[in-house]
Amino acid sequence: MTSTATAPPETAPAPEPTPPARPARRHTPAWLVLPSLVLLVAALGYPVGWQVVTSFQHFGMMQQFGQPPEWVGLSNYATLVTDPELWVIVGRSIAFCIVCALSTVAIGLGLALLMGAVTRAGRLVLQVALLLAWAMPVVASMTVWTWIVNWRNGLLNWALERVGVDAQGHNWLVEPLSFLVVAAVIVVWMSVPFVALSIYAGLTQLSPEVLEAAEIDGAGGWKRLRHIILPLVAPVISIVLLLQLIWDLRVFTQIKLLQDAGGVANETHLLGTFIYQLGTGAGDFGMASAVSIVMLLLTVAISWYYVRSLMKEES
Amino acid sequence: MKKTLGLAVATTTAALVLTACGGGATGSTTDPSAGASGNADKSITLWLAGTDTPKELRTYLQDTFKAKTGATLKIEEQSWGDLVTKLTTSLPDPKNTPDVTEIGNTQSPTFTNVGAFSDVSDMYQELGGSKLLQSFVDVGSVDGKQYALPYYFGSRYMFARKDVWQEAGVAAPKTLDEFNAAVKTITTKNPRSIKNFSGFFLGGQDWRNGVSWIFANGGELAKQENGQWVSTLADPNTVKGLTQLQDLYKNASKAPADAKDQTPWLYVNDADEILDESGNVTGKTSLAAATIMAPGWAHWSIGDLVEKDGKKVREWNDKKFSAFVLPGNDGKPAPVFAGGSNIAISKASQNQALSKELLKIIFSADYQKKLGGAGLGPANTDYVSSLGDDQFAKALIDSATSSKLTPAAPGWATVESKMIMEEFFSKIRDASDLTALAQEYDAKITPLLNLK
Amino acid sequence: MSRILGPARSRRSTRRSVLTVVAVLVALVWAFPVYWMLNSAFLDKVTLQSSTPTFLPFGGSLDNFATVFGDAGFVRALGISLAVTLVTVAAAIVIAFLGALAISRFRFRGRRSFILALLLIQMLPAEGLFIAQYKMMSSVGLLNNVLGLALLYTAAVVPFTVWMLRGFVAGVPVELEEAAMVDGLSRTKAFLRITFPLLAPGLVASGVYAFLQAWNEFTVALVVMTEEQSRTLPLWLRGFVQASATRETDWGQVMAASTVVAVPVIVFFLVVQGRMSNGLVGGAVKG
Repeated sequence: MTSTATAPPETAPAPEPTPPARPARRHTPAWLVLPSLVLLVAALGYPVGWQVVTSFQHFGMMQQFGQPPEWVGLSNYATLVTDPELWVIVGRSIAFCIVCALSTVAIGLGLALLMGAVTRAGRLVLQVALLLAWAMPVVASMTVWTWIVNWRNGLLNWALERVGVDAQGHNWLVEPLSFLVVAAVIVVWMSVPFVALSIYAGLTQLSPEVLEAAEIDGAGGWKRLRHIILPLVAPVISIVLLLQLIWDLRVFTQIKLLQDAGGVANETHLLGTFIYQLGTGAGDFGMASAVSIVMLLLTVAISWYYVRSLMKEES
Repeated sequence: MKKTLGLAVATTTAALVLTACGGGATGSTTDPSAGASGNADKSITLWLAGTDTPKELRTYLQDTFKAKTGATLKIEEQSWGDLVTKLTTSLPDPKNTPDVTEIGNTQSPTFTNVGAFSDVSDMYQELGGSKLLQSFVDVGSVDGKQYALPYYFGSRYMFARKDVWQEAGVAAPKTLDEFNAAVKTITTKNPRSIKNFSGFFLGGQDWRNGVSWIFANGGELAKQENGQWVSTLADPNTVKGLTQLQDLYKNASKAPADAKDQTPWLYVNDADEILDESGNVTGKTSLAAATIMAPGWAHWSIGDLVEKDGKKVREWNDKKFSAFVLPGNDGKPAPVFAGGSNIAISKASQNQALSKELLKIIFSADYQKKLGGAGLGPANTDYVSSLGDDQFAKALIDSATSSKLTPAAPGWATVESKMIMEEFFSKIRDASDLTALAQEYDAKITPLLNLK
Repeated sequence: MSRILGPARSRRSTRRSVLTVVAVLVALVWAFPVYWMLNSAFLDKVTLQSSTPTFLPFGGSLDNFATVFGDAGFVRALGISLAVTLVTVAAAIVIAFLGALAISRFRFRGRRSFILALLLIQMLPAEGLFIAQYKMMSSVGLLNNVLGLALLYTAAVVPFTVWMLRGFVAGVPVELEEAAMVDGLSRTKAFLRITFPLLAPGLVASGVYAFLQAWNEFTVALVVMTEEQSRTLPLWLRGFVQASATRETDWGQVMAASTVVAVPVIVFFLVVQGRMSNGLVGGAVKG
């Protein structure tokens, strides 16, 4: 028993089984996948199709209210691609998402390891705190955060004043860079709980015997981390990193609410708020659809290397 | 645009004709004001935005509607920020559209121009005609036909710290020029030595308050030329206003460059009992301005901090605070942005006749007076006296007489959603050539003003 | 994690205590905004506007909470949110789990395409879809319908959940099952007894994620639940924030409402957390 249990570590990341194929089981995967497929096609088929089609049309408020939409081919895309403002926003969004995603995963990993190394009580306290942060409605957390950085009576300025820094009336949102740093802090704060809890869940799957064995062998904590633990949770880490990249590129609510509180909106746009401004704001749904498609392509491009290596791993 | 309107008019006329002939699935076949029998199982839906219309008024509408038509009135409250999204998806859908809806006056031109609303020109005289607030009627009209009519109006005026003004030795202004000079003096004198004290707090991006200086000098944001709307920021009168604004931004207001028009009353109130350890009042007081401009309802949030029934509230204090209308240079109040909303019938509604009955009730004398009683300016100017006669009601009425709305251009809502005016205003203070800046923004705004 | 007796033990205990203190500090810092929300919920809106922060709500009151609980729409919205969310979580976990099993334990044609599709779906921004989603739901008459909304939410959550669960399923070595099978258990029994418990942490994490997504989602609910009585909690909360064009927002009430909205999630986690106590391999390989 024990011998089989210690063998897995080398093979765990590549879990391809080679069971004897019995006739009935050839169809099993199809049945397992069917519910997902049916669900996704039913719920997303039309909306996504509509969006693709609309991106090639001139579709504004008039069309929403009954006028037939006009086919304009690639005109929306052309306007977008030649708009320097879009590329500024793209650049900003990419930088933002990379900084946030990397910070989130690093901090999340740290906290997950911390959770593993403390007493049960400590772990529970930390988990509950993270969960509270995660569960807090975005409206409430954004309100609290905007209070914290408020230039007039914000907690941050008040605390800084207390320790002697002259921060009275300092406006954290008026400069675009400062604004984005605040936004990054908020987004990371909101995203870490999920990452930490997921990585921790992955850590608990590790066999203590392996870790014991490593300890007996005299591997120091740091080495143990790098050579044994990390490779084992690498699948979970790589997934959450990819997802953070995708989500942070799409971030919308936090930026929008922060823009409402301060800063010059047109200097702090990221792709999410930009699409919103085009769509709901200006009623230019054709253009908004085009931007969404562009964003999809962009996300694919950024994660291409990643996606490809994941796909390779699959075979 | 003409083509759509033609289509819209034709469709509406056809619908009306069909209804009148008593055929088809649209509307009721019985006389809607017949009362009980025919309409007992019918109901229409009214969308109201936010909590502005108080409960008593809503109940009144429901009761009166039932008594008059026998049908039921359902009122659904939508939140302001999401109203446009919901109207965009629901109005075109005959199965789920609200029958009658409130709509902000900024959004009225857009929705009116895309044909979202029914033509109510035939009822216009009956509902009040020229007694209705004309600026509100304009944003809901196209080619002389009315679609969205005024529902209620608000207004904005100035709130000031009387005591600080006196300390600075400045008298109450009677003209706009006097106002400008007065607030600059207060800022320079800073009688209470408060850090970053503003004689007049005007946020760097606060165009909704700042636009009064443009209007007061005869300028406009946009106007219609040959059927097309153009942005007029660079017109000489507008630039005159912009110059005054620049002066104010440099010398009278220490507001942050990114402040908009939210919660300005915070700056004019005293702080509550804040003391640091030694009991000194440091520079960190709430009081940061001698004057602010705010919508009329802000007076509820201005005053001394007192405790009533265990709750902290603000109580107005006539010795410390004053409310006055921004004076123009021509002896009349300076034009300010009116607040308020319009009301309209959805074109896709299946209950056109009943919806019109609801409009009749809303524009009846009784309801209009109730609106005034609730602090909401009634659409029919005959009834403004129902607002009361305290200083706030007076200020509301006076400032509303020359108030203006955002341009009735169909694309104005787009300009607002792109925050172009905010951006423009944030650059006024440091611009070396205001006319050039204005021209730059005219070029950005004009293409957006007309629906394509 | 296991302990090894011996001289290393005391060193480990000290380290453990120190780290526990660190963990508690981190927890306090991280949960600060939550504490602030709670604190503000007891204060009135005027106090909240002052320049000096009030750290402990002495002299505060339960008025805001009274307003929240007294709001007619609250209980209804709570019910609707619970219904939609629980349906979403249940459906998503089941559907995604099956999909994750298929991907990690079987080889089949179209497997790679399926995985790729799941990934691509997640990359599509959702902001532009609401118009089409409305049209779709309206045409099949599923507006203002709990199941309709749950359908949209489940579809939104499944791609990611499959991804997550796949990682966890992959992390459980097949050999464990096979070892159990050698002992005479059928494949299904081996799966249920051995593998499934090990997946518990993954299922919990996915469940909490799905819960949160459905619980706090706003835009889709806004356009699909058009009637006041079918509002979900986020829509109801929005009503508090955006109350009026003629009155200022009462932030104390908003904070109280937000606190109330956040509570069920905590409850859900604590309940589920208890159930999944020991997904430890140690238990599985014993004997």
